[in-house]
Amino acid sequence: MAIGKWALLAAPLLALAAIPAQAQAQEGVIRIGVTLRMVVENGLKYGQMVKDEFDAVNAAGGINGRKIEVQLLDDECKPDKGVSNVNRFIHQTQVDLIIGSTCSSVSMPMVDIVTKEAIPMIIPQSTNQDLTKKGSPWVFRVPVSERFYAAVHAKWLAENVGKKVAYLVTTDTAGIGFAKQYQVYMKKAYNVDPVIEVQAQETDLDFRAALLKIKSMNPDVLAIGGQADAIARVSQQSFEVGIPSRVRRVAASAASNAPVPELGGDAVKGLIYAAAFNCNDERPEAQAFVKMTQTRYNVRCPDHDFSQAYDTVQIVKQALKAASLKLNAGSHAADRLAIRDALAGIKDFRGLASGPINFCAEPTPQCRDGNRTGILVEYTKGGKDYETRVLARVSFEADFGL
Amino acid sequence: MNLLEITGLSKRFGGFRALSGIDLTVRQGAVHGIIGPNGSGKSTLFNMISGVYPPEPGSRIVFDGTDITGRPSHEIARLGVARTFQMLRIFEGMSVIENMMVGHHGLTGYSPLSAVFGVKSVRHEERRVRGEMMELLAFIGLADYAEMPAGEMSGGQRRLLALGRAMAARPKLLMLDEPGAGLSPPNVDILLDTVRALQKRFGLTVIIIEHILKLVMDTCETVTVLEHGEKIAEGTPAEISADHRVIEAYLGREMLDEEVRSFLRAP
Amino acid sequence: MAVVTAPTDADWRSRIHPVLPWLGGIAVLSLLPLVTRTAYDQYLLNIIAINVLLAVGLNIVKGFAGQVTVGHVAVMAIGAYASAVFSVHLGLPFWLALPAAMAVCAAVGLLVGIPALRLEGAYLALATLGLAESVRIVISGTDWLGAAMGFEGIPPPQIGGFVMETHLRYFFVVMPIAVMGIYISFAILRSDMGRAFKAIREDQLAAAASGVHVAKFKLIAFVLSALYAGCAGSLKAHMAPGYLNPNDYSLQEMVTLLLMVIFGGIGHIWGAVIGAIAVTIINDLTQDYYTYRMAIFGGVIVLTVMYMPRGIGGMVEDWLVRRRFAALRAATKARQATP
Repeated sequence: MAIGKWALLAAPLLALAAIPAQAQAQEGVIRIGVTLRMVVENGLKYGQMVKDEFDAVNAAGGINGRKIEVQLLDDECKPDKGVSNVNRFIHQTQVDLIIGSTCSSVSMPMVDIVTKEAIPMIIPQSTNQDLTKKGSPWVFRVPVSERFYAAVHAKWLAENVGKKVAYLVTTDTAGIGFAKQYQVYMKKAYNVDPVIEVQAQETDLDFRAALLKIKSMNPDVLAIGGQADAIARVSQQSFEVGIPSRVRRVAASAASNAPVPELGGDAVKGLIYAAAFNCNDERPEAQAFVKMTQTRYNVRCPDHDFSQAYDTVQIVKQALKAASLKLNAGSHAADRLAIRDALAGIKDFRGLASGPINFCAEPTPQCRDGNRTGILVEYTKGGKDYETRVLARVSFEADFGL
Repeated sequence: MNLLEITGLSKRFGGFRALSGIDLTVRQGAVHGIIGPNGSGKSTLFNMISGVYPPEPGSRIVFDGTDITGRPSHEIARLGVARTFQMLRIFEGMSVIENMMVGHHGLTGYSPLSAVFGVKSVRHEERRVRGEMMELLAFIGLADYAEMPAGEMSGGQRRLLALGRAMAARPKLLMLDEPGAGLSPPNVDILLDTVRALQKRFGLTVIIIEHILKLVMDTCETVTVLEHGEKIAEGTPAEISADHRVIEAYLGREMLDEEVRSFLRAP
Repeated sequence: MAVVTAPTDADWRSRIHPVLPWLGGIAVLSLLPLVTRTAYDQYLLNIIAINVLLAVGLNIVKGFAGQVTVGHVAVMAIGAYASAVFSVHLGLPFWLALPAAMAVCAAVGLLVGIPALRLEGAYLALATLGLAESVRIVISGTDWLGAAMGFEGIPPPQIGGFVMETHLRYFFVVMPIAVMGIYISFAILRSDMGRAFKAIREDQLAAAASGVHVAKFKLIAFVLSALYAGCAGSLKAHMAPGYLNPNDYSLQEMVTLLLMVIFGGIGHIWGAVIGAIAVTIINDLTQDYYTYRMAIFGGVIVLTVMYMPRGIGGMVEDWLVRRRFAALRAATKARQATP
């Protein structure tokens, strides 16, 4: 009986050992590990898109004659899963490059691992500013870092609308962060303090008293920090208390969520928020991309998670083309280094991002936050069939606001 | 000498008076029967003695010279009061020997920390407990089943195990709640023999709640009769069967069965 | 009448100290890295060891004492974060941070156990769920714990001059601790206390009538299982890359953990161990099939509950019982049939 138990215990371990090891021997292949948040439906689609893009490269003969092998894994926006996936990429698959991830909290520990293991990693979607601040020579980032986001609307509003900003902020992380970054930028760039700041609870339904107070201060801009519901309600009630439409309403990034125009109705017309991509972008390359995702993946309006994943793939293709790779059993370290340096050599890449993407060799945010152009999106129509347009593109210098 | 002295024991559930001012005395070494129709408060009495329900003011339960009124169940058990349940409540997911060893819990003397450190005395103690419990199982005729899950046993075996588990605590007072319920006549006899043998061997005091009147009348020296939560009679089986209030209480009920009738008619 | 055979001192088992076979087990398992193919397998072994500790701990409170809790993962989170704070903010070495974190968890376990004195079943599950979610939310909103962005830079343990930061080296930290965890679980659960736990699981009224202090042992069960969760949490925190995030301690992880215990067989110590190993490996093997992973996982849960409600341990036990007692039961029946 005791032996039986030990056997039961040992069986799964033996099973683990019996699983044939991944075919490592195949030389001349570029291996890429991709980990993304794919639990949501869109996630599965942009994950598939990344894989399809590389498959298309293989179908066309590969890059410099080399085929690309992609291992695509879901990290479910769970850091533990991301760590597990990266460990698998590095130790089991022995990839040459890692693409990942969507959530900043997942990319965070990944950065530490790739730095230690000396493997290049390019971040397609995470925006947290600390990722590139860690100073890893192995990490590149395609999306707009969040440190630019607040500045995008702050700069545009200051130059085009006015500097008298009234804040109505709910006390959640998103709301507070939005207001704080806006205020810091206004102070730094123009030495302007808020005309008024009112805090409300996340669960509040009636903001009219606060809005009346704001109205009496006669601001140029009403900044709304909070989640989608609060943004919709504040927009509506701001008109009810008679804040005129010449006062620009600007909101945190949650404003891009569908409940805002659906709940807010006509009141959201003119509301703006900063983003990295909008599917109503009129540039031909953007429209071609939107059409591609519509036909291939049945996505009506691809968001910046799609556009940035797409840009990432194109940048990787370009870098792999430029890198001289040996791809034999002993060349792992050299190949990884070559890919890293090729990525650092990406200059003036023009993709779906609204501005050029540049990388350089220094392990600093200036060098590794590739995209510094955000867009301002404006609601032109509220309700269920809401419409948006790109109001402006705002670019920054690499060393802004550090 | 009295082992158990109860005075003024009352219990109310909402508006229902389950027990009102019961006085009960059980002599050391006695086999004391408690009878009464359904809902007369017999099981409530057991639950009060064993500390399942908190008592009402004015109640007083003294066991072996110690006032146990309002004490928690496990303390009362450790003082030497063991009981069985009408629904048996054996630990079905545990083996027979484990059931017995839980019964012996209060007398198993080592700390879990010493078990972690693998102290030798722990192994000795475990061996002692197991050995003694095996002897007890042998005494009640379940030794062959020691390692069997208790849930796999037959009804009669379960009753014996419930009895054995109560005995495992080496109690001074053993309270049996309808030990004969659901048993066939030969099995009742086996059970009765076992109870008598245990009582003799260990010098037990026993209280039996029973519906099977024969069981009570054959076994008990003193019988207490409860009705509507009150004590209506007490005495030897002979006195009780002659008591007009008892006859009334039983005859006044339609649920009276043939057994009771024939018993009451007997001289 | 049966012949009662009490174990004698001549039995070799009784002459050696009970921990010796387990030390032997550690020695044997130390050879395991020899058969691993890559460092990824070693990483997986470390995850398995941590999950074994978690499952064995949960098995104490759920499998043995029969108390429903869905707060185990939250206790692990508290252990992980406590250990991180002790080593990063207070500068304690791992070997002090680990017991300190376990002590914190023991206190938490006591708090979690208190509702268990009054609540049962679904109500207790709800109470512990409330605790679990609030722990996650509080961490997400606490800046000095790294909030939603996570707690970084937790140093790996050191033994002498060795920094245990590779998966291989960490294996020699987690594996012995996990094996000792299993041993302690055995020592406790096969003692008088383990029987008291089981008695509480089976029938509280009867347990109390047998002299078991029900409230005390319930609390002890919660504290013990919290100690395991705290140990697992601390080991998780100090494992490379030394990063913690509240997202990794949600209801989803709790369901996975419950599955380990149920799959292995509730109330079987080996069951919890086998369940932890099996579920971790299934989890890993299905990672490549991310599209169907959730469906596969859900399927395993449903099939386990439907066809193997008592898990692998329960199946083995049934088989043993059937084999062992079939003859005995037949004999009893025959005796009853012939009066």
